[in-house]
Amino acid sequence: MGPLIDLWPLSYTDSVVATGALLLGVVAGVLGTFAVLRGRSLVGDALAHAALPGVCVAFLVTGAKDPATLLAGAACAGIVGAFMMVGIERSTRIKPDAAIGVVLSVFFSLGIVLLTAIAAGDNANQAGLERYLFGQAAGLVEADVNLMAILAAGSLGLVLALFRPLKMTLFDAGYAGATGLPVRALELAMTGFLVVAVVIGLRTVGAILMVAMLVTPAVAARQFVARLAHLLPLAGAVGAFVGVTGALASSRAEVPTGPVIVLVGFTVVLLSVLLAPGRGVAWRAGRLRRERRRALVDGVLLDLEIASHGGPPPTREELALASGRPERTLRRGVGVLHGRGWVKDEGGHLVLTAPGAAAAHELVARREEWSAWLEHGWKLRLPDAREPDPRDVRGSLGAEAADRLAAFRAEATA
Amino acid sequence: MNHPIAALEIKRLTASYSSKPVLWDVDATFPAGRMSAIVGPNGAGKSTLLKACLGLVPVDAGQVTIDGRPAKSALDRVAYVPQRDAVDWDFPITVGEVVEMGRYPSVGWLRRVRKEDRRIVAECLERVGMSAFAHRQIGQLSGGQRQRVFIARALAQQAPLLLMDEPFAGVDARTEVALLELLGGLRDEGRSIVVVHHDLGTVRSFFDWALLLNVRTIAQGPVGETIVAEQLRRAYGATAAAETSDDELEELAWAR
Repeated sequence: MGPLIDLWPLSYTDSVVATGALLLGVVAGVLGTFAVLRGRSLVGDALAHAALPGVCVAFLVTGAKDPATLLAGAACAGIVGAFMMVGIERSTRIKPDAAIGVVLSVFFSLGIVLLTAIAAGDNANQAGLERYLFGQAAGLVEADVNLMAILAAGSLGLVLALFRPLKMTLFDAGYAGATGLPVRALELAMTGFLVVAVVIGLRTVGAILMVAMLVTPAVAARQFVARLAHLLPLAGAVGAFVGVTGALASSRAEVPTGPVIVLVGFTVVLLSVLLAPGRGVAWRAGRLRRERRRALVDGVLLDLEIASHGGPPPTREELALASGRPERTLRRGVGVLHGRGWVKDEGGHLVLTAPGAAAAHELVARREEWSAWLEHGWKLRLPDAREPDPRDVRGSLGAEAADRLAAFRAEATA
Repeated sequence: MNHPIAALEIKRLTASYSSKPVLWDVDATFPAGRMSAIVGPNGAGKSTLLKACLGLVPVDAGQVTIDGRPAKSALDRVAYVPQRDAVDWDFPITVGEVVEMGRYPSVGWLRRVRKEDRRIVAECLERVGMSAFAHRQIGQLSGGQRQRVFIARALAQQAPLLLMDEPFAGVDARTEVALLELLGGLRDEGRSIVVVHHDLGTVRSFFDWALLLNVRTIAQGPVGETIVAEQLRRAYGATAAAETSDDELEELAWAR
């Protein structure tokens, strides 16, 4: 990983940390996406917690503290945890979330007990094991980063090679199985991805908060893209950003890396969930507001049109009474119509202006077209699956179809 | 039967969840080149029967043959259309990609999708009237459009046998008519179609062959001989008392 480390405009130690965090971020972002899409994010959480006793046992057995040995222990424990969850789910009537809860708490308790016992022992070598709880990026050395790079290359290569079968299994396991794909093995592979991601991230992010590294990139990236082939690289990029920012910030501030990464990740998720175009909360709230306003204005216009046929122009109070709208709401609607010059006030009575009456007639015509579609649309036998815009049947289906709808309607009312 | 080999043949199939049999000693034959319906009350095992044929649920006993070959080795001859609610419609995938999945089994899992495959995908989209939607995210589609996408994916496999699970459940009338006509066209091209279905009205007017199922086989044969009051009473059991008239029975099935 030498060349990559040299690329950073940072000191050597920081460059090593940044490279490690980059690899971790990409791998956790990409592999975590599979868990998020399967609705199995918490399996990642359980596996991260399950890895802790593995680290302790590996240390107790070998007495060595080199990362490869400890992470091998973590991987073994993670695999045992994964099989336990799958086993409980398949062979008992316990629900998956309960199985996850049991495995997570049992393994983590075991890990804490072992960690405490090791700390109480007289092994001078033990200092630093507790870093696996909350993670510490600052301690990374080039050998760690090399190991991470090998695991990253292997797992990402596998994702690339299995992209189509994985996509099919994720989207529609039943269909995938019917084409002869080994669905169970592929699902197991996706759980295996989580073990790999946990092993890569355990030392840097820690067992307790590793799940954030798996989940946040996918959640943030999903706000912006609508294809799996775009989601995976974007989640990797988000993961890399979160990982590198969090790791560098934490090693400067000398606080554990896990919490810092979680806070950075949370910020990214918050911003993307709020602000993303199309799917963001702000975007959707704006659209809802516009829809409601439009419905109100259309409704008031329609009420005025109906009232103007029934007698003298109504006052605001009469209109509110007739339409059943609260007066304040009605006033808002009338205000908009005023602004457009569609209605004028003649001694307390609301009168439609000429453009207002024209707009009302157009609205009535459009509503009639829509109800004609609902009632007679199936008779049109449209050649394709287009569906009309309720507000503009003529514009969305074409004049020919709209004319035929009008004819069906006339025929039915005759 | 003019066709010597059945498109799908099921022999003494038994499948159970826990200890309760969902399918019990089911024998069924679906003729090639016909449109067949699997009809029966809720909980009759209709969907399970399809899944069992495809090896998607474990079976206790029985054999399934497709075109005279054991089903396991003939999966390339079948296109399956699962129930629509089996998938997450917010999944990040476009309409075109879903249909392209139908080509993967023959393209292979690694090789590039060829021009010829793209042409087939476009053609299948055209056939179900979804060409204009190829680049849409699937979550933006209506129920009827989603069903069309699923059928296009199955068509893209170009398999001679189509197995469809409740394709018309929750679909608007316009889509149902369009799809039934499409299936009729496929049958006329010589494909065999087996549909789990719940609407006795359209079974009579569109299908050639029916299997009446309620855990065991109640009756099977040409629609005119199978979907008759006496057999329906046997299938639908207590809900259809002996004095129920044909019309009421039909209403009963409609209401499902």
